[in-house]
Amino acid sequence: MLKYFSTVLIILINMFAAFAQEVVELKLPNSNKVVIKLMFMNGSICDPEGKEGLTYTTATLITEGGTGELSFADIQDKIYPMAASYSSHVDKEVSIFTFSVHIDWLDEFYPILKGLILNPSFNEADFQRVKSNQQNFVDQVIKASSDEEYSKMALEDLLFRGTPYQHMVEGRSSSVKSITLDDVKNHYKKFFTKNNLMIGIAGNYSDNFLNILLNDLNNLPGTNPEIPEMPEIKMPDGINVEIISKNDAFGSAIFTGFPIDITRAKDDFAALMVANSYLGEHRKSYGQLYQKIREQRSMNYGDYSYIEWYENGGGNMLPPPGVPRHSNYFALWIRPVQIAKQLRMQYEELKDVEIGHAHFALRMAIREVDKMVNVGLSREDFESTRDFLKSYIKLYISTPANQLGYLMDSRFYGRENFISEMDQLLSEITVDEVNNAVKKYLQVDNMYITIITDKSEAEPLAESIRSNKPSPMTYSNLVKENLPEDILKEDEEAANYKLNVKSVKIIDSEEMFK
Amino acid sequence: MKIFFRFLLIIFLVSQWVMQSSAGQEDENILPYKIHQKKLKNGLNVVTVPFDSPGLAAFYIVVRVGSRNEVEEGVTGFAHFFEHMMFRGTDKYSREEYNRVLKSIGAGANANTSMDRTVYHMTGNAEELEKMFDLESDRFKNLNYSEHDFKVEAGAVKGEYTKNYASPYQQLYEKLLNTAFEKHTYKHTTMGFFDDIVDMPNQFEYSQEFFNRYYRPEYSTIVVVGDVTPEKVNSLAEKYFGDWEKGSYKVDVPVEPEQTETKFAHLQNGNIPPYIGLYFKGPAFSDSEIDMPAIDVLNTILFSQNSDLYKKLVVEEQKARFLGGGAFDARDPHLISIQASLYSKDDMQYIKDEVMKAINNIKENGVDEKLLSETKSNLKYSFAMSIDNPSTIANTLCHYISLTGDPESVNKLFKLYDKVTVQDLKDVINKYYLPSRLTIATISPDAEGGVR
Repeated sequence: MLKYFSTVLIILINMFAAFAQEVVELKLPNSNKVVIKLMFMNGSICDPEGKEGLTYTTATLITEGGTGELSFADIQDKIYPMAASYSSHVDKEVSIFTFSVHIDWLDEFYPILKGLILNPSFNEADFQRVKSNQQNFVDQVIKASSDEEYSKMALEDLLFRGTPYQHMVEGRSSSVKSITLDDVKNHYKKFFTKNNLMIGIAGNYSDNFLNILLNDLNNLPGTNPEIPEMPEIKMPDGINVEIISKNDAFGSAIFTGFPIDITRAKDDFAALMVANSYLGEHRKSYGQLYQKIREQRSMNYGDYSYIEWYENGGGNMLPPPGVPRHSNYFALWIRPVQIAKQLRMQYEELKDVEIGHAHFALRMAIREVDKMVNVGLSREDFESTRDFLKSYIKLYISTPANQLGYLMDSRFYGRENFISEMDQLLSEITVDEVNNAVKKYLQVDNMYITIITDKSEAEPLAESIRSNKPSPMTYSNLVKENLPEDILKEDEEAANYKLNVKSVKIIDSEEMFK
Repeated sequence: MKIFFRFLLIIFLVSQWVMQSSAGQEDENILPYKIHQKKLKNGLNVVTVPFDSPGLAAFYIVVRVGSRNEVEEGVTGFAHFFEHMMFRGTDKYSREEYNRVLKSIGAGANANTSMDRTVYHMTGNAEELEKMFDLESDRFKNLNYSEHDFKVEAGAVKGEYTKNYASPYQQLYEKLLNTAFEKHTYKHTTMGFFDDIVDMPNQFEYSQEFFNRYYRPEYSTIVVVGDVTPEKVNSLAEKYFGDWEKGSYKVDVPVEPEQTETKFAHLQNGNIPPYIGLYFKGPAFSDSEIDMPAIDVLNTILFSQNSDLYKKLVVEEQKARFLGGGAFDARDPHLISIQASLYSKDDMQYIKDEVMKAINNIKENGVDEKLLSETKSNLKYSFAMSIDNPSTIANTLCHYISLTGDPESVNKLFKLYDKVTVQDLKDVINKYYLPSRLTIATISPDAEGGVR
């Protein structure tokens, strides 16, 4: 077992009586830097109706603008020799500001941190710059740069429809247009307050420095923010599919999901972690989904499953902190598979195929979930997966910033230290508890599915899914000639696996996120 | 697969130097940890860096083979494809058994390929180090996959291409390299040309040849960083890799002829903001010549968020959404890149003219010493703050090993940064930032880029 997480940290958890804020300390006397994280319990769910994206605009303008004394350009001049960095990140329920500076420069950098948070300049020119980029993101970038990320955002739009969780944190085309600088100023006063703030600090800092920080942050607005209640996310009736059709897509990018009533706060989470890791650990080849779809059939680049939000799955190998949520869903990520147009062009023997691999891949993936629910994990699979996780989760906190982030997220969920507590829970867990958790939380009859695909693929794919007709896998001759019998037999079963489809819609990409 | 832009690298490669300089010890190494090296008889270099990460070790193997080595017709993308094949098993550890043992170690493990190297890595429990050596040495010495597995794996590479191709920037990057280079293998991306990827299943025999050529000790370096000692690492290396047979293949990479005029690559796409990239042919990486360090310093001065150009184009005029610049680190001469994402396609020419004006201004007037000194400070402190875990350090060392074969290149490079003068900045502008070395890459809704 790894021991580093328990030996290098001196974790001090203080509730300072004089301050409303919770403080998470991580003293690292050998570190050459200080990392400060300010987590406001205020995310995109606090965006007013019609102004979706306002929290993101506000947080971004704080880090992309100036202070009462210094313009954005002045700040860039000052921090240039320090190479200090800072950024904001907004998720559904929290907005986090992260500052990193070398200890040589801490005292000189601190007034900038203080000015940005307590006295942001909020000037019109900076606002226009930030808003224009945000508008461009929701209008163009999200739809044109990664179909995988697009399909994930489309899934949240469908799964959380009608709730404050629905919209992207960046907002929608029409809502961003309506955001004004006055909206930002008001939102800052109402939601970035000392009453919904958690303060985290890691590295080589003095108690005196921390006291100054806490005293200063006590000057944040004293209003009590009204955080919306999260409505219960309803389980869909059957399988509901939205196919988003766009020009010149090269493949079909797929996300599926359904709500689950569990977060890191519950001890059951450890059991579900084991099941999820067995089924589809992120970017690992051990998962059943990866084995069946990529390793044995090479249909795409990878296939994974999730029991909570995973930030930027295309870029991160390990789950970053800073995105805690009360509302979770189970998800399958099927990376882009081939469309018929491409298969026809690539292989003479496939010149007559009518649909690509999306329907078959979906069936193969959902069938694996079904198997896990019905059969469960064997004792051997359970033990190897549990042992893997006990070691692997410690890699989540191999940098000071991530250690601090995970500790702060722990507090969000009412835990002291999620990683060490999961380690303990994993040590005690049994195979029966895992399989019971699978039966309790997972199923295959009701879910949402979003697929980003090419215009030429959308209609035949929709018809195939809607009619539940067999979707045989189409291999090139080169691959097909030596496929083992067991693979072909499983293909046959998967191709005929019935999905409880209730609705299939095609949506033009132009209509998304309006 | 990762493509390394130098300007991105700077963000995480440039810092420990600072720690020493702020303590007044400028002659010391940028990396504050001793780099232990031992070369085995078969030519395999073994690098160990003890680092304070109790219980944790990063185990990396860098092979100096990448898309640069794809010299034959029809096999572009093969180094990357081969990286995939390395996970397809041996007689001792079948694919399934390899996965099972890897899972039991509980490590984060993966691989990636770029133009000059392929890196295989595991980060996890230091007590499992011997198991890591066992697993890796077995596949490096005894890889054995069936023709069927080979054909099947090609589909995953096509899947990776399909995923990447959704990005217009990736599409333009492919066009850019194909335009900027005539003969050198940097002409194609590490993914390779799509037609070659579709044809990969037919290249089984070539794949065996590829393994025999490059998966050899003289092409490889083991890097271990973390809670380890050089004695232990060296002894495990001897035990598991000591009998690895040396090869003899030497690749003959075509020399790129000198470019004589500005070239153009354009992607017609109205779905993302207009984009312009200015790509000048730069020098190869060197840890002894001043050119590349001077280019790094120059690009930091020109394109950082505090630069006059950034303030003008991004902050004040709001003509550019993004502005950045840097140079590719590569074994052979590659590209210096300047990139801007725009609000309006009508400003493309203006952006290009403003960038050239800023470059020419330094050529004529130089920069003041304070800015030069602050830039060096920026580079150093960025690096100092980035080196906070074993994986980052191992990855950094692998990067320099891929370029020169020597992990000490990182220390040598940072000593060169300190020596860069204003005259060096003028010299590299006169030498490299010339219209005859330029390729202009653009994205806009129009059929042509329209920038001259």
